[in-house]
Amino acid sequence: MSDYTKYTNKEMQAVAIAQQIKDGQIVIVGTGLPLIGASLAKRVFAPGCHPIVESGLMDCSPIEVPRSVGDDRFMAHCAVQWPNIRFIGFEANEWLNDNLNEEGTEPRLIAFIGGAQIDPYGNVNSTSIGDYHHPITRFTGSGGANAIATFANTVIMMQHEKRRFIDKIDYVTSPGWMDGAGGRERAGLPGNRGPQMVVTDLGIMKFDEQTKRMYCAYMFPGVTPEKVQENTGFEIDCSRAESYPAPDPEIIRMIREEIDPGQAFIKVPKD
Amino acid sequence: MSKVMSLHDAVAKYVHDGDSISFGGFTTNRKPYAAVHEILRQGQKDFIVYAGPAGGDWDMLIGEGRVKAYINCYTANSGYTNVSRRFRAAIEKNEVLFEDYSQDAIMFMLHASSLGLPFLPVRFMIGSGMVDEWGISKEVRQTIDKLPNDKYVYLDNPFTGEKTVALPVPKLDTAIIHVQMASPDGTCRILGDEFHDVDIAIAAKNVIVTCEELVTNEYIRRDPTQNKIFGECVNAVVHCPKGAHPSQVYGYYDYDPAYFKEYDAASKYQDGPDAVAQLKKAAAKAQKALDKKPGDEKLAAALEKANQAAADAESGAKVPETFKDFCEKYVYSVKSHEEYLDKLGATRLLKLLDTSGFGYAAQLDAIER
Repeated sequence: MSDYTKYTNKEMQAVAIAQQIKDGQIVIVGTGLPLIGASLAKRVFAPGCHPIVESGLMDCSPIEVPRSVGDDRFMAHCAVQWPNIRFIGFEANEWLNDNLNEEGTEPRLIAFIGGAQIDPYGNVNSTSIGDYHHPITRFTGSGGANAIATFANTVIMMQHEKRRFIDKIDYVTSPGWMDGAGGRERAGLPGNRGPQMVVTDLGIMKFDEQTKRMYCAYMFPGVTPEKVQENTGFEIDCSRAESYPAPDPEIIRMIREEIDPGQAFIKVPKD
Repeated sequence: MSKVMSLHDAVAKYVHDGDSISFGGFTTNRKPYAAVHEILRQGQKDFIVYAGPAGGDWDMLIGEGRVKAYINCYTANSGYTNVSRRFRAAIEKNEVLFEDYSQDAIMFMLHASSLGLPFLPVRFMIGSGMVDEWGISKEVRQTIDKLPNDKYVYLDNPFTGEKTVALPVPKLDTAIIHVQMASPDGTCRILGDEFHDVDIAIAAKNVIVTCEELVTNEYIRRDPTQNKIFGECVNAVVHCPKGAHPSQVYGYYDYDPAYFKEYDAASKYQDGPDAVAQLKKAAAKAQKALDKKPGDEKLAAALEKANQAAADAESGAKVPETFKDFCEKYVYSVKSHEEYLDKLGATRLLKLLDTSGFGYAAQLDAIER
């Protein structure tokens, strides 16, 4: 479809992801939406960002859309091809050295992770639904997400559905703020890192400074507080929610024509 | 001394029932598929697997019932199958012993094994299900010699008192890796990311290397900066061009989308009876959906289609390709890797060749169309 003023929820989500990335940041991406978002950020919003992937490929600049984090499309045109262990050591040392951005306001490393379930404190499940030993649905498991959630600030991406946003998740693959303020320190996790926001197809959820509980910070065009609550399996505060601007048609054109022309991750709507 | 052997002889000599084993590569990249096929043909089983970032390699071995314990962190042909289907079914049906670590933990454990460390303290997995839940209980672990009795133990850092998770370091019997170039004495050249391949090659007692190009010991020494594995770590060198197909080999060829798509569809069903059962279940689900919204034309059409598919499968008129069929077609019906390549055909393989200067086949999907 060539009408770039009409966009899908997924395209909006990719744009919102891209707009969270700041110039100079080191960005841990996976495949799928975060990669589309990072590619867009690199072209438009934050050309000086450094995408890295958990297989150990640093400062990636893929020309074509990779399908896996170990894809040769990531491996070509990157700065360094490290084995995975170096990547893990790097992310741990980013925390140990408390490496901050140039302004000194926040860590320079930010990571995107996904999952199947999330609770009000940003703990994420990507392992299994139901009993762990005899699950109803089994997923891939952690991959690199657990250590990322341990050492880095994260942006979590998820489809906003009642069955996914629930009070108690079946398995904690990637720890968030645990049981609230001070929860990470009590568990023995780095307290000065953790989930910063959840980018969904409805808007952007953040975590309260004091309580670390999720609230709705932004709603995408056309989304109401009722719709956010309807699709959230726990009570969510929408009183602070602002509306998020619609994407520029030029940005939508870029996603469709330049970044993911093969529609590997974002389907273009039919007329 | 030349370590060059046939694929058959290398697998027969160095892969045994019950081995603790690890493969190199990363999901759909540089996976030693030719060796996987040979193991399937020869019948070795009961593996204790340190899987790392796995894909169809271990999914096939799980589907064929060759895995005793699956120590895992991620199993998917990413971008084609988001969760490998025989892996998923085996866990959902409780048919395989499995243990979850984070990828970081497994990669560090294999690295620690290469360093000869006694155990490994880490900071991750704290606060997660990976410490709360044990996939394989202490009791069961005690019955398996090659598994440590504990998944992990908490250990305070003796220098600072900080809480850490101490992980066991695996002892590998066997490692199999696929590399771009090797020489008869076992020296290996890996182009692009080495992943955990060097670690498992140092750590394992027996190492099989399959290679795209077999060159002389003299030639490979002309540029030692590119060499990654000392030949004395290696037991067998197998000249095996396209030996990672359907996965990628940086600078040589790309993954095979048609193969991964076919595997994605076929691996939904273990075998014929499983296909019939699943299609019947899908038809019942479609009926339920229509019952909820009677008169919905789309749902009615979907039900008709689902009923037809279930009836066709049951009568044998049209049974979808299953995992068993797939294995028969690509593994058991051929005697060797060479026969496998003949079956794929030259045209199909040529389309996958990397574009010069790219490290992958540019516009691969466009070629497919």
